[in-house]
Amino acid sequence: MKQFLYLFRGGDEGYAKLSPEEMQQHMTKWNEWMLQISKTDEPVPGLPLNNEGKVVEKGGEIITDGPYTEGKEIVGGYVIVEANTLDEAVELSKGCPIFDFGGIVEVREAVEM
Amino acid sequence: MWLLLMPQKPVNQVVDHLFRNEFGKAVTILTSKFGTQHLEAAEDAVQDALSKAMQTWAYSKIPDNPSGWIIRVAQNKLIDHLRRQQKVFYATQLPENSYEIAVPNNEQFKDEMVNMMFACCNPKLSTDYQIILTLKILGGLSIREIATALLKKEETIAKSYTRAKKQFKEENINLELPNSEAIQVRLQMVLKTIYLLFNEGYKSTEGESLIRKDLCEEAMRLNQLLLDKQETNNDWSRSLMALMHFQVSRFDARIDVNGHSISLEFQDRSKWDEQHITLGNRYLTTVTDGMKNSYFLQAAINGIHCAAKTYDQTNWTYILILYNHLYQLNANPIVALNRIYPFAMVNGAQSALEELQKIKNHPTLKENYLVAATSAELYIQLKNNHQAETELLKAIGLCKNQQDLHFLIQKLEQIKKAKPHQV
Repeated sequence: MKQFLYLFRGGDEGYAKLSPEEMQQHMTKWNEWMLQISKTDEPVPGLPLNNEGKVVEKGGEIITDGPYTEGKEIVGGYVIVEANTLDEAVELSKGCPIFDFGGIVEVREAVEM
Repeated sequence: MWLLLMPQKPVNQVVDHLFRNEFGKAVTILTSKFGTQHLEAAEDAVQDALSKAMQTWAYSKIPDNPSGWIIRVAQNKLIDHLRRQQKVFYATQLPENSYEIAVPNNEQFKDEMVNMMFACCNPKLSTDYQIILTLKILGGLSIREIATALLKKEETIAKSYTRAKKQFKEENINLELPNSEAIQVRLQMVLKTIYLLFNEGYKSTEGESLIRKDLCEEAMRLNQLLLDKQETNNDWSRSLMALMHFQVSRFDARIDVNGHSISLEFQDRSKWDEQHITLGNRYLTTVTDGMKNSYFLQAAINGIHCAAKTYDQTNWTYILILYNHLYQLNANPIVALNRIYPFAMVNGAQSALEELQKIKNHPTLKENYLVAATSAELYIQLKNNHQAETELLKAIGLCKNQQDLHFLIQKLEQIKKAKPHQV
């Protein structure tokens, strides 16, 4: 079994227009999906990320606000998924609720140690 | 494909309408703390906080105290916003450590919500505004959802809400309850709005049934907040709760598979929700003096309907007595019209027609199709199908509601079938 990293990018613009009830429904979709793609009874491990941050360069000589990229490109979170092949990992990503709001999933295979 | 074969896993259980209810709580707390002039900013901050909650809780479980989480995040956003807007007065008045807002306990939440309810139902605001404010601020519904629920255009509701908010801020400088005497007077307004809200959800079977039921539930939730507080728990608020329980018990039974309404006579009584009926009865028995209380009288009438195992077993004598009291209390032509049917069941259709004759020329009833519809019903009872047909046609001409129109046309077809055509 290999490990894959899903990076979630974008979706935020659509989220801003949701009503509280719709937000709850959307969150529930994520909860369900993260359980569905997990090989255990726990959701796949991962973390949401704040949009604010710093970019550090040259050993701290240059420190700028936030990720370089804007809007759609910002990584909003990640999870780690187990799958046998990249194809399977891609297949699993297709149910991701981020697609409801125009976001994207970047699927990356972790190098085996 | 293999996903479908996977066993069911325990999904994060989320309380129904958690986000919606938390919106109401958080906006209320922040508006109370920062002042009604910052209502919009509070709404935006809470909206952002909920969006963040959605994105964060997607990865894990909901925290034990979601209200605390949301209020903390929303307050930080609100303070940031006020600082940016250079509303320094309010922002800098707050010591740094107030970032750690003391999250109110359940009782404080309820108190603040009741205060907000009284502010939204400020008698200086029109009832339309009261309803929209209540739904938006306390109910956590979006403009689009309110428009769907009230069968109005989204832009109409958006405009009304903007105006309502402006007036709300002018009339409610702070969110304090009036003194105890004024509370009792204002409570009547609040109850009226709650019942209007309930009826918006109940009266029509058009549109999305789910969101309409939500309106009924929201009205009951707000009434429950009043019952939880000593000053606002009285015969009136308990009677209204009883009335809503009885009515909502029939919510699903009153609509057929095609979305058409079914009259009491033809409803499948096994579909009536026993739990709501029991609660309705429980509230009703706590009322000490009901005869001057229109909610009590209406609740009691509904209670009698709910108690009848079959339509034929309905105790029309009691219902008529209650209608008589209701009419004495409020000599309203609509009440008089509703009284005709039980009157006929007790005294016969012929005397009921005479009774109807006395009220049918009232200006309020002139254009009301129910006069002709009631009259048709009485003629059917008297087996005078010819007159019944005439009255039904009159009713059909006046009726503007699609659902009721469907009902009338069906009735007309029934009697046409029963009566062989004479050429």
